[in-house]
Amino acid sequence: MTIERAAVIGAGLMGSGIAAQIANAGVPVLLLDIVPKDATDRSAIAKGAIDKLLKADPAPLMSKAAAKLITPGNIEDDLEKLEDVDWIVEAVIEKLDVKQNLYRKIEPFRKKGSVVSSNTSTIPLHTLVKDEPESLQRDFVITHFFNPPRYMRLLEVLGGPKTRAEALAAVSDFGDRRLGKAIIAAKDTPGFVANRIGVFWMQAAVNAALDLGLTVEEADAIMGRPIGAPKTGIFGLLDLVGLDLQPHVDASMRAALKPDDAYQTVRRDFPLMERMIKDGYTGRKGKGGFYRLQRNGADKVKESIDLKTGEYHVSDKARLESADAAKGGLRALVTHKDKGGQYAWAVLSKLLSYAASLVPEISDDIANVDLAMRTGFNWKRGPFEMIDQLGAAWFVEKLAAEKMVVPPLLKLAAEKGGFYKTENGQLQYLGTDGAYHALKRAEGVLLLADIKRASKPILKNGSASLWDIGDGVACLEFHSKMNAIDPDTLDMVKKSVAHVGKNMKALVVHNEGENFSVGANIGLALFAANIAMWPTIEDLIGQGQAAYKAVKFAPFPVIGAPSGMALGGGCEILLHCAAVIAHAETYMGLVEVGVGLIPGWGGCKELLLRNQPGPKDPKGPMPPVAAAFETISLAKVAKSAAEAKELKLLRPSDGITMNRDRLLFDAKARALELLAAGYKAPEPKELRLPGPTGRTALQLAVDGFRLQGKALPHDVTVSDALAEVLSGGATDFTGVVTEDQVQKLEKKAFMALLRTGPTLARMEHMLTTGKPLRN
Amino acid sequence: MPAYKAPLREIKFILYELLKADSLSNTVPAYAEATPETIDAILEAAGQFCEEELQPLNHSGDEEGCHFENGVVTVPKGFKEAYAKFVESGWPGLPCDPEYGGQGLPKLINFAVEEMICSANLSFGMYPGLSNGNYNAIHAHGDDAQKALYLPKLVSGEWSGTMCLTEPQCGTDLGLCKTRAEANVDGSYKLFGTKIFISAGEHDLTSNIIHLVLARLPDAPAGIRGISLFVCPKFLPTADGEVGPRNKVACGSIEKKMGIKASSTCVINFDGAQAWLVGKPNKGMSAMFTMMNTARLAVGMQGLGIAEAAYQGAVTYAKDRLQMRALAGAKFPEKPADPIIVHPDVRRMLLKMRALTEASRALSYWMGMELDIAAHHPDPERRAAADDLVALLTPIVKAFLTDHGFDAANLGVQVFGGHGYIREWGMEQLVRDARITQIYEGTNGIQALDLVGRKLGTGVGRLARRFFHPVSEFIGVASEKPEMQEFVLPTAKAFAKLQQATAWLAQAGMADPEEAGAAATDYLRLFALTALGYMWCRMAEIALEKKGGSEAAFYEAKLAAARFFMARILPETNSLFTMLTAGKATLMALPAEAF
Repeated sequence: MTIERAAVIGAGLMGSGIAAQIANAGVPVLLLDIVPKDATDRSAIAKGAIDKLLKADPAPLMSKAAAKLITPGNIEDDLEKLEDVDWIVEAVIEKLDVKQNLYRKIEPFRKKGSVVSSNTSTIPLHTLVKDEPESLQRDFVITHFFNPPRYMRLLEVLGGPKTRAEALAAVSDFGDRRLGKAIIAAKDTPGFVANRIGVFWMQAAVNAALDLGLTVEEADAIMGRPIGAPKTGIFGLLDLVGLDLQPHVDASMRAALKPDDAYQTVRRDFPLMERMIKDGYTGRKGKGGFYRLQRNGADKVKESIDLKTGEYHVSDKARLESADAAKGGLRALVTHKDKGGQYAWAVLSKLLSYAASLVPEISDDIANVDLAMRTGFNWKRGPFEMIDQLGAAWFVEKLAAEKMVVPPLLKLAAEKGGFYKTENGQLQYLGTDGAYHALKRAEGVLLLADIKRASKPILKNGSASLWDIGDGVACLEFHSKMNAIDPDTLDMVKKSVAHVGKNMKALVVHNEGENFSVGANIGLALFAANIAMWPTIEDLIGQGQAAYKAVKFAPFPVIGAPSGMALGGGCEILLHCAAVIAHAETYMGLVEVGVGLIPGWGGCKELLLRNQPGPKDPKGPMPPVAAAFETISLAKVAKSAAEAKELKLLRPSDGITMNRDRLLFDAKARALELLAAGYKAPEPKELRLPGPTGRTALQLAVDGFRLQGKALPHDVTVSDALAEVLSGGATDFTGVVTEDQVQKLEKKAFMALLRTGPTLARMEHMLTTGKPLRN
Repeated sequence: MPAYKAPLREIKFILYELLKADSLSNTVPAYAEATPETIDAILEAAGQFCEEELQPLNHSGDEEGCHFENGVVTVPKGFKEAYAKFVESGWPGLPCDPEYGGQGLPKLINFAVEEMICSANLSFGMYPGLSNGNYNAIHAHGDDAQKALYLPKLVSGEWSGTMCLTEPQCGTDLGLCKTRAEANVDGSYKLFGTKIFISAGEHDLTSNIIHLVLARLPDAPAGIRGISLFVCPKFLPTADGEVGPRNKVACGSIEKKMGIKASSTCVINFDGAQAWLVGKPNKGMSAMFTMMNTARLAVGMQGLGIAEAAYQGAVTYAKDRLQMRALAGAKFPEKPADPIIVHPDVRRMLLKMRALTEASRALSYWMGMELDIAAHHPDPERRAAADDLVALLTPIVKAFLTDHGFDAANLGVQVFGGHGYIREWGMEQLVRDARITQIYEGTNGIQALDLVGRKLGTGVGRLARRFFHPVSEFIGVASEKPEMQEFVLPTAKAFAKLQQATAWLAQAGMADPEEAGAAATDYLRLFALTALGYMWCRMAEIALEKKGGSEAAFYEAKLAAARFFMARILPETNSLFTMLTAGKATLMALPAEAF
């Protein structure tokens, strides 16, 4: 069966978020909730939820258009609509009777064979369905999403003994391909996989901080990046998810877990937190939490709570040598003598051995557990990957030396030499049977990491590499810091195009970094500008223009396959590709004006071309110029691939892939498709541009903004330079301007701006603070 | 003993013709008083004082040295009287804040005065020099009461000051400081510890000595983040600011040393001495750096002063000393022999001293003027730019000018031959006196690390911009003028090397800090020579304009020195570039035990 229509019942934060993600996938979805008392609009709750979806930040919806796919309703008047629905997600309050009443209510209305799933995080499946009819039990699964559903990749899925295999498969497949989730086959155990370990971690981390007398700043300085967790650490995470949630989670875990489960001994009451909850200090959503922001005149001052006294004080940067030592690996962290090192060991020793004791109870394999922690808690490494980094044998020895329990699976890993190994270029994990098993990828999943493990690059330098991904297709991978584009990257772009032209059939530009590319390495450019190496910088602009031009006019298709940020020069290379298959979570934009520059590697030119009028658009030279000017001068960044299409940074024909793991496969497929259709390189185009009159029109608009105080002095300078380029320089609409001529104008304007003090100040500010300077 | 003549014409050339320092009185309201008439009068008077009072004491001070007996230090004969006159004429307060009795004149003018003092008598200059550093730190970081109590006396010269940083185990690495402070109930502190190498730490010139001391508070974090600055007077001032009871701070001994023998270099013991915190707890390093940055420039001026003195001595001798004949035939057949100045190699030495000294003067005075702009220019952006430039070039001025001071002193000895080596002529004293300037206030190696490790990276090269951009623009414009080609082209070549070396350093040093360390000293010298090339270009530009006027000989000499610099000094940048980009490998290959 396939899922073509869905319904979500319960329009709270999770329910509406799940509905939004279903809509993001282009699938119509009903969003139902109860009828509020004395309501004039009986669907007010669901409608209100959709309004909130449109306003929330970070946005649960990938485009405004997606909201139209969500139909609001209520569970009194709209149950008939369920007869068209293939999948019903229940996301109501965590109360057994409420859920069971709902199941009974919908059972007569739902389509035969449709899947019903609960988003419960605390109630076991067997409890949920024990009194339900066989028909529901066969169609019933748990789909446990993580908050927020658009951004958290984990989806835990499990069925009961009577659940039909097809039902489970349908939901899993939909979750994977359409919703883009990492599907973890969980078991009907408390907290499933991620929360079972995550909740233990949070308890262990809080209590060890209290025992060792760390401040919240110190605890978070260790429990964040140094162990591979998000930088919120532990107390910052509690603030984020809400302190008030914790007592409920704890109570449910205590009740559900066996008395001899290690959780029962690691958990503790936390009187300070109880008091904070009572006083309304429930975290970021409340008056504050372990941290709070206090207004001090116009400034906001970050304060932290003293864990001993409960008083707030101005936050202090934690100074722990161990936090730096962690750069040398996890072992350097946990063996560091300072209290940060002791803290890391106190938490990780318990956490990692606990995780090892839970396989196969919560999951059949360790790789599944690691994936769950990476995608559900955004850890860089799962627990078994952490153990391997410590060294399984070393870890076991240290646990034994401290008379701590060593679970059998951990002992086994120590004897075998770790939880993972690479054999014949293939990643394998240790099974509970004591043998290593290959990590299997689903059909349609192609990972560059796997290719890199199994082969050597065709070409490589410090910033980029070229890989053979089979069937005559190559993959150009960026791997500089933050995938910033530098001369080495550009050199590799040129060499890759040349190599593929001679020896292969098509090229995909893709990498598995957090961000496709944050743009040109402006640190390099700024330093060169500061020491007045103008010819060097001009060469760099020329080098980039030439490399991207080679991409565009290559006799074979070059496919861009971005995920995450694709900004500035990273966006420009995509604009030059024959086609783009973008991960749905792609954030594209030409943001150069933020650092006082304009796109110099053909971005201006390509955006002019993208905005050329279609058959239905108004004619004349000005509309495309004005459109490109708006997008670039306001540094508009698309917050999704869907939005990138609206901004014309992607073409209507470009593809969007929801699941990141499927991106490379899809991009390669598109390349082969274009080849099969007889790919031909595009012809260079000639543009009709307005020249000085157009430039003046744009300048007038900017001067207007300046007078209204909406543009700053240097914005005017940068906009003028941009207007000069986009209007085509000294031309008029009776003449034509070639692509190369626009590029020349780009270079000239870029160099002129780079010589201005305010541009250099913007670049410096961005590099040193990470924030734009408004000057 | 070489005679010393204050080089007022040279100084005025830099001040008025190159830097247009007379414009300060118009553009910077705080310096409205610094008109050319005032400046000229000050320079004349300072020159006269240095020639007549300080220089005659230089040799005798060196011969006699300081005396130490029972914790009491007495300075050599004549120093007390000279100091009294120095104070009476108001010299200590020249660049100081009028609010505390200073004259509020530009630091630039004080730089010129300092240069002359250092040429005449480096040891003497130490005493007011330290007081001025002390004044700067209290002025920047002290509270109102501390300022009111100490600054007027320091400005008048009635009291003097010190900077107590070094301890036996703690030299360059101030994080190792052990001197500790214990809180008294009244908010003051007791200091315990021993400081060494304390210049002007004890003497009989002033009625009180104000020590600024780095020490640790009881709960201070380890290392450099746990250092605080304290003010600790030798005599506890009374409520009305007069000298009161003796504090528990005493001089344990004075060092026997290579040079600056008339400057007392003391071991100072703090045995529960009462002291007061200056600035914030544990922020002593930043307070100290305020003082150190100006002090580093002042040490650069010491190098310049020595170089000028050595040059003057050597020129006089080279003109007087008759030996041999010129290589191409007698130049003064009426004399028994030609003066040695006829010889190319003697000229090589003299011109090297002169070309580097004049350009060094230009560079360092330029920094003096930028310091004034940074302090008081009405435009905040101009202030920030000046601050950046001074920060960038301070290590260069300190290291290069002191290296040059020492080199010039050695060349001076060489010109004198055997007479340079004996004490009577005073040339060897210059060598010995100069030697310390390359060491204190951060060794020249540390200056080079400061340049490559700290200054270049600041603001992703923002500090560098303040130098590279004006030079790049100057080269662009000046290379259009045919008569400037002979100066601009070699400078442009050196500048390109400097750019390349800087880019290389940024990349190699980022990847491996040892690469930056290995390149640092050569890079600093490459930078300095390029900067001096730029100075010579600008000086030559002026000389070309004015050589047809009444002072033709003066400007022709400038052009001659500029040509010598371009032809026979600046090419060193090529070898420096080759050496520094050779990388660290040959430095690091040999294991420590093989040395």
